[in-house]
Amino acid sequence: MSSDNFNLHENEFQRIEAILAKMQNELRAQLVLLISRSGQPIVISGPAESIDCTALASLAAANLAATDSLANIVGERDFSVLVHQGRRRSLFISDLLKRFSLVLVFDASASSGLVRYKCKRTTLLLEDVIRDFQRRIEKAEPVMSIPQFTDEEIEELLGRQNINEPFN
Amino acid sequence: MTFINYVAREINCKIVYYGPGLGGKTTNLQYIYQITSAENKGKLISLATETERTLFFDFLPIDFGQIRGFRTRFHLYTVPGQVFYDSSRKLILKGVDGVVFVADSQEERLDANLESVSNLAANLKEQGFDIAKIPYVLQLNKRDLPSAMPADELQRQLLVKGEPVIEAVATQGVGVLTTLKAVARQVLVELRKSA
Repeated sequence: MSSDNFNLHENEFQRIEAILAKMQNELRAQLVLLISRSGQPIVISGPAESIDCTALASLAAANLAATDSLANIVGERDFSVLVHQGRRRSLFISDLLKRFSLVLVFDASASSGLVRYKCKRTTLLLEDVIRDFQRRIEKAEPVMSIPQFTDEEIEELLGRQNINEPFN
Repeated sequence: MTFINYVAREINCKIVYYGPGLGGKTTNLQYIYQITSAENKGKLISLATETERTLFFDFLPIDFGQIRGFRTRFHLYTVPGQVFYDSSRKLILKGVDGVVFVADSQEERLDANLESVSNLAANLKEQGFDIAKIPYVLQLNKRDLPSAMPADELQRQLLVKGEPVIEAVATQGVGVLTTLKAVARQVLVELRKSA
C-alpha cells in the first residue's frame, strides 16, 4: 500500500487548481475534476452543488477502467478518451498517465471539438505537475510527513462510530 | 492508494468487500448506509442487474471524522461475487487499501468460499498487492443459518494469515460495524507505517 500512496502538497494542489479553473473558465464548463484511477476526487473546480462529486469520481474511474478492458478485448492498448453526450449536459473523461483522470461536465451545446482540444492541452499541463510530484516522491524529499497518529488516536476515531450493534 | 490531501486535510482510503456470490457483501454496505447519519455518508450506488445481483460494484463513501486534524474518508466498494464477473473484480481492486472477505458460513458454500479466496489472492497479485501484506479481515457471515459450519472449522479452512475473524449476521447488522472498524484500524496503522 505504502509505495502507491499519494500525498498532495499545497503548491501542487494550487497549480492543479489553477489549471482546472482556467479550463473551466475557457470552456464555461460546469465542473472539472482531477480524480485518481482508484476513484477518489483529488481537485475539483466548479460550482458543483447539484452534482455528487464523490459518486461521479467513483463511477468515472470505473467507467474508464472498464473501457480499458474493452479496448484490450478488441486489440487496442487503450481508449484514452471517453465522451458521453447528453441532451443538456455532456461528460468528457480523459486518461492521465494511467494514474489519474480528467473529468469534465459541460453544456451539451458546447463544441465537442473545442472541448477535446482544450482537454488535450490541459492534460499536458497536468502531466507536468504530476511528473514533478512523481520526481519529488522518487527523490523522497521530506516536504511533509504522513501524520503519525497514535494507537489511542486510532481507537478514539473508531470509537466515535459508536452505533450499538445488535448483540451477537 | 491512500490519498492524503494536505490542503483540505483529508485522508481517503479504499476498502473492498470481496467474497462468493450471495455471501452478503452488498448487505454489509446496506446496513452501514442505514445506520450512518446523513452528514457522514454519501449516496449508496449499486450497479446491479434487474434481479438485484451486483453487476459491477456497490459504492458507499463514509466519513469517520477527524484524526490529528485530518478528516478520514473510507470509500467502501463491493465486487460482484459471481464467478464470471472476474474482469470486473480486477478493476475494483485497483488502488485498494484494505480488503474484507465476506465468507458464507453455509456448509454447501465452502468450495465457493475457497475458490473466492484463491481468486482474491490472484487478482490482488495482478494489481501489484500481496494478500499476506494488505490490511485484511475475514468475516464469517450468515452465522444464524442452520447449515452454518462451526466457526472454528470455517476459520481453519479460510484463514490466510492470522487476520481478525468476525462472526456476522449482516441482515441483522451483527458484526458489520466491527468488521469495518477492524479493517479501518489496519489501514490507518499501515498508513502510519508508510511514513
